[in-house]
Amino acid sequence: MDLAAVGRTMADVNDGPLIVQSDKTLLLEVDHDQAEACRRAIAPFAELERAPEHVHTYRLTPLGLWNARAAGHDAEQVVDTLMTYSRYPVPHAMLVDVAETMARYGRLRLETHPVHGLVLHSSDRPVLEEVLRSKRVKPLVGNRVDEDTVLVHASERGNLKQALVKLGWPAEDLAGYVDGEAHAIDLDEDGWTLRPYQREAAEGFWHGGSGVVVLPCGAGKTLVGAAAMARAQSTTLILVTNTVAARQWRDELIKRTSLTEDEIGEYSGSKKEIRPVTIATYQVMTTRRKGAYSHLEVFEARDWGLVVYDEVHLLPAPIFRMTANLQARRRLGLTATLVREDGREDDVFTLIGPKRYDAPWKEIENQGYIAPADCVEVRVTLSEGERLTYATAEADERYRLASSTEVKTRVVEQLVKRHAGDPTLIIGQYIDQLDELGERLGVPVVKGETPVRERQRLFDAFRTGEISTLVVSKVANFSIDLPEASIAVQVSGTFGSRQEEAQRLGRILRPKADGRTARFYSVVARDTIDQEYAQHRQRFLAEQGYSYHIADAEDILYGEGIP
Amino acid sequence: MTRTKSGPRSLADDLRARTDEELAELLRIRPDLVVPVPVDIAQLASRAATRASAIRALDRLDRFTLSVVDALVMLPDPTSPKAVRELLDAPKGAVNAALSTLRERALTWGSPQTIHLVRVVAEIIGPHPAGLGPPAHQLFLGLPPARLATIVADLGLAVSGDHATNAETAAAHLGSNETLEPLLEDVGADALSALQALAEGPPTGRVEDARREVDREGARTPIDRLLATGLLVPVDHTSVVLPREVGLHLRGGVLNASAGVTSMEPATTARDPGMVDRAAAASAFDVVTKVETLLDTWSLQPPPVLRAGGLAVRDFRRLPGLLDTDEPGAALIAELAYISGLVALSSGDDETWTPTPEYDAWLRESVADRWIVLARAWIETSRTAGLVGTRDDRDKLVPPLGGEIDRPLTPEIRRIVLDVLAGLPPGTAVDPEGAVEAVRWRRPRRGGRLRDDVVRWTLREAEILGVTGRGALGAQMRSLLDDDPEAARSLLADLLPEPLDHLLLQADLTAVVPGPLQSDLARELNLLSEVESRGGASVHRFTENSIRRALDAGRTADDIHGFLSSVSRTPVPQPLTYLVDDVARRHGLLRVGAASSFIRSDDQAVLTEILAAPQASALGLRRLAPTVLISTLDGVTVLERLRRMGFAPTPENADGSVVIARAEPKRTFGRPVPRPTLADRPVPTAAVLNAAVRALRAGDRSSSVRPADVVPGNLGRSASTQTLTDLRRALEDGTTIWIGYVDHHGSTSERVVDPVSLEGGWLAAFDHRSSEIRSFAVHRISGVATVDA
Repeated sequence: MDLAAVGRTMADVNDGPLIVQSDKTLLLEVDHDQAEACRRAIAPFAELERAPEHVHTYRLTPLGLWNARAAGHDAEQVVDTLMTYSRYPVPHAMLVDVAETMARYGRLRLETHPVHGLVLHSSDRPVLEEVLRSKRVKPLVGNRVDEDTVLVHASERGNLKQALVKLGWPAEDLAGYVDGEAHAIDLDEDGWTLRPYQREAAEGFWHGGSGVVVLPCGAGKTLVGAAAMARAQSTTLILVTNTVAARQWRDELIKRTSLTEDEIGEYSGSKKEIRPVTIATYQVMTTRRKGAYSHLEVFEARDWGLVVYDEVHLLPAPIFRMTANLQARRRLGLTATLVREDGREDDVFTLIGPKRYDAPWKEIENQGYIAPADCVEVRVTLSEGERLTYATAEADERYRLASSTEVKTRVVEQLVKRHAGDPTLIIGQYIDQLDELGERLGVPVVKGETPVRERQRLFDAFRTGEISTLVVSKVANFSIDLPEASIAVQVSGTFGSRQEEAQRLGRILRPKADGRTARFYSVVARDTIDQEYAQHRQRFLAEQGYSYHIADAEDILYGEGIP
Repeated sequence: MTRTKSGPRSLADDLRARTDEELAELLRIRPDLVVPVPVDIAQLASRAATRASAIRALDRLDRFTLSVVDALVMLPDPTSPKAVRELLDAPKGAVNAALSTLRERALTWGSPQTIHLVRVVAEIIGPHPAGLGPPAHQLFLGLPPARLATIVADLGLAVSGDHATNAETAAAHLGSNETLEPLLEDVGADALSALQALAEGPPTGRVEDARREVDREGARTPIDRLLATGLLVPVDHTSVVLPREVGLHLRGGVLNASAGVTSMEPATTARDPGMVDRAAAASAFDVVTKVETLLDTWSLQPPPVLRAGGLAVRDFRRLPGLLDTDEPGAALIAELAYISGLVALSSGDDETWTPTPEYDAWLRESVADRWIVLARAWIETSRTAGLVGTRDDRDKLVPPLGGEIDRPLTPEIRRIVLDVLAGLPPGTAVDPEGAVEAVRWRRPRRGGRLRDDVVRWTLREAEILGVTGRGALGAQMRSLLDDDPEAARSLLADLLPEPLDHLLLQADLTAVVPGPLQSDLARELNLLSEVESRGGASVHRFTENSIRRALDAGRTADDIHGFLSSVSRTPVPQPLTYLVDDVARRHGLLRVGAASSFIRSDDQAVLTEILAAPQASALGLRRLAPTVLISTLDGVTVLERLRRMGFAPTPENADGSVVIARAEPKRTFGRPVPRPTLADRPVPTAAVLNAAVRALRAGDRSSSVRPADVVPGNLGRSASTQTLTDLRRALEDGTTIWIGYVDHHGSTSERVVDPVSLEGGWLAAFDHRSSEIRSFAVHRISGVATVDA
């Protein structure tokens, strides 16, 4: 493309909301008049990285640009958008880079050949030669059909796409999807309707074929799944994190769609049902018997037309590998926080599909679909004795020591007292600490060893208001729907996990009947590694625009401070 | 010779007849003629006709003018514009313009119709003007007479007994189209294509046994046939040359068919001039910021200067990261700072690259002014930043700021490139290779590959520097090239974003400055935070480390709070306030200091007593804790003094136990006895004593003993073997000699000395002037002469 021509069309914009940096970040000033329009214009190709209160940061990545190409946007549009909204001249080198990056997409195409089946076809022979020479690609392809075409083993479609992305020559996948076994599923919109963003997300997914939808916790991702199923009208495999989540999915589907109890199967540790819609847990899928993943066959059990991955950021590695073989089926990933501490976000994108929909938390909050939340970091000071123990402790013991300090228990007690009557969750990492808290507060504890039935009972009691306070371990990090919880107190966590922090906040984000603001307390031991981890944990939410208010434990203990 | 009576008879004559303006113009174009100012016109003419000066003048001619020079070299002297025109087959206007250019530069002289070429020009152009060989006549004269006679015979001409006549006959045969054409038709396709290749130039080719005896009858190969007919003439055993007449004929009678009258226009792209100016201004802003970033960094940590000059590779490699650019970009930034006088070698023993006071003055200027300083320095500098990172002759990486990148060619070529750009309409971007071609046309004799590289570097640097935007010259630069910095300043200032006085603080501990920040604020912000992203705006992150750095730099928590709330338009987020307070609370909690010894005692009263004693002030004491004093004096001294003050201290060793102080006789290991070195400690041998006595006398007669052929400062420089022989003989004979000695400052002196020893390149000798034994480096001894006592 001729960048010069685009340059000429640029109006004399000198006050756009966007600042394009040479390191390929885009800064969007949110208070600007054109901010909304600009956000919509750049969303297809730029990844939202941070969304704090004043300036949101987007980033241009090759993957993002290729996804934009896949969605039908060309380099000219991208360049034009940048120049239209940019406040300062856009660095020329970057425009060239955008054009060049986008031009790399589609030189290779995955197609279905009438005779040979799945093939990789190239319109640019040197590129084909280059990728075929790669060690990574070699085992994934078969014989050359002609000079521009090479056979691809059907089972390697995903791996090949992944390898090609790593080589910088992403393939355009034109081989299509199998329809799967048809099965009628309809949304049962009685007394409720899909929210606009849920509808957009489902549509975005369907048009893209496969991909990931990122929505905040409590924003109703299950319904996006249900809407996708209604579009697919086929048998569906749903993968969720655990049994409790599986039951919640089942209940929700029965309530919101035309599906009946008989049509939905559960494939978990206790039940092994395969029905038109089957909900399986990650846990059972990764259970090994004699060294083999014996349950992965559920993928083959039916001709699934759609595979839904709940909490896709937790997708375990074996399922990753399995998913690579499922490229002919439509795949929908759902998540609130696509930050993997293992850095494998890109694998999620290549194997499940690109990000199809992403909404900043604060935006959904502004629309009233998730509850506003106050985050408070309560800082406690270790007692002299504890400080000494801490100072001399081994490095791997320090976090445990700091995060289960006795002071925290007293602070939690105060907090619970303060919010007496409000449904409160106390969340922690260390079982002894949780047990102690449960004992002190006289409330039940839900932890890994609590039987599913007991868990269900406690959660139900919590939902109905029978009990107002629960102490939970990390089993409750995900997918536990406790709509009424409005107070969460976090006493310890999985070190500096950002997504765990977000998930925990998510537990209290269901909109409350009275529109109350939820409150998230994170109790942190001052001047210890606990505080360092806390800072790291808070980063994701801070970048989503949640600001932590810091309070001193002393103020809480003596009944002052926070309103 | 057809010379009009009124025409000048020499270059001097011609120059004499020129007007003052014309002479002034000549001196302007050829400034080397004025240094020093010639005494008269004759001297001016002879200087203009020197080889060095003429080369300099030719080097600055464009390709067409040079082909006119070629034509003049080939044509008989004097010649007319018409003859030149015909030979070149070029339009009259262009030829006349070129001719007047040459006359202006005093490369030709004469009247408009009789043009003389300054003789040295032909010598400079060499035997192959325009890639054509020497004239046939000249070549034939050089052949053996028998060989030439065979050629004349083979051409079917009458052979004369006279070599010169034969040469003329054969040359005339080749010189006429009527006779040459049938000859060429006859040689065959292979031979003809060989001739065609030579006709394009260069005209010489390699042939085995070029001097072989051939005739037309016995010719077996195409080359044989060509040699037999004189279409190729051997110049030595292995090479042949195409006679000029034949080459010219094969070119269609035109000297250089491919040489255009004007330069090829480089391919261009039209861009919106407004956008070009804005893009250039953005780069200008960027480059100013980068120079500032670099020098602020170097203010704190000046990098050392390599022994050979320049910046160490290690220090250079850090720059791209620091400046968010690539290596060529970083080299340019560093060079800009240097050539603008903003950074220089520090004085002192360890030389470093340190910002100069000019830098502080520069910082106070507006961005536009600062850019003008950089841009002007860049236009003029001969330092060639593009060479940085290439390898020199010894395969060493060329460092920035070093002495190796000075190229006199660079400013000249750079200026031409800028002129090419300035000659295009506003908003026109030029294709780099087209620009290379255009400059090559303008200066075909200058620089070769370096010239082409300099063109590319200039375009690249211009883009970084904001001289161009998107490849086209910015309006601000046009003004600067027109020597109107005022206009450049105001144009640029209008385009630059107004520096901001505020920033946006966010709860995720970042600060965003949505544009350039006022530089004093930027400096403070850089101290307080780490930069995460640069460009039109900048993103900064506050971390524990960055806050600590500010505290270390002497800021207090209150200073930081004050600064943040003054520059933020929104309330300072609470997490940031806490971060500052947290770090400040722990800052300085541990103190580190130096002490040489300590005094401790469980009895606090004793320590108080020591402190109160009048002698205590001499001990440099400070009380660290109730039971500990520290002293700046070492333990032994403190012990001693305390004892004198009447206390009874015991020394303590590193593990805290008391040292039993019992004086033990100390011993050390045996070591070799130091040997006396001659230079340090003279051994008064008999010879020396003898010499000393003679020296006393020598003082009196020093002027009279100088050998006849030796005058002060003129002791002949003998070859070093000779020097050695002389010294050795003097040593053996015990004679007194004169030596000429060049000291390490390069000044020469004469000494009267009595040699004592000679080894390892050093002469030890009794110096009569200073009356002591001295060492003289033999290689510095410029001459030796005997003093006849």
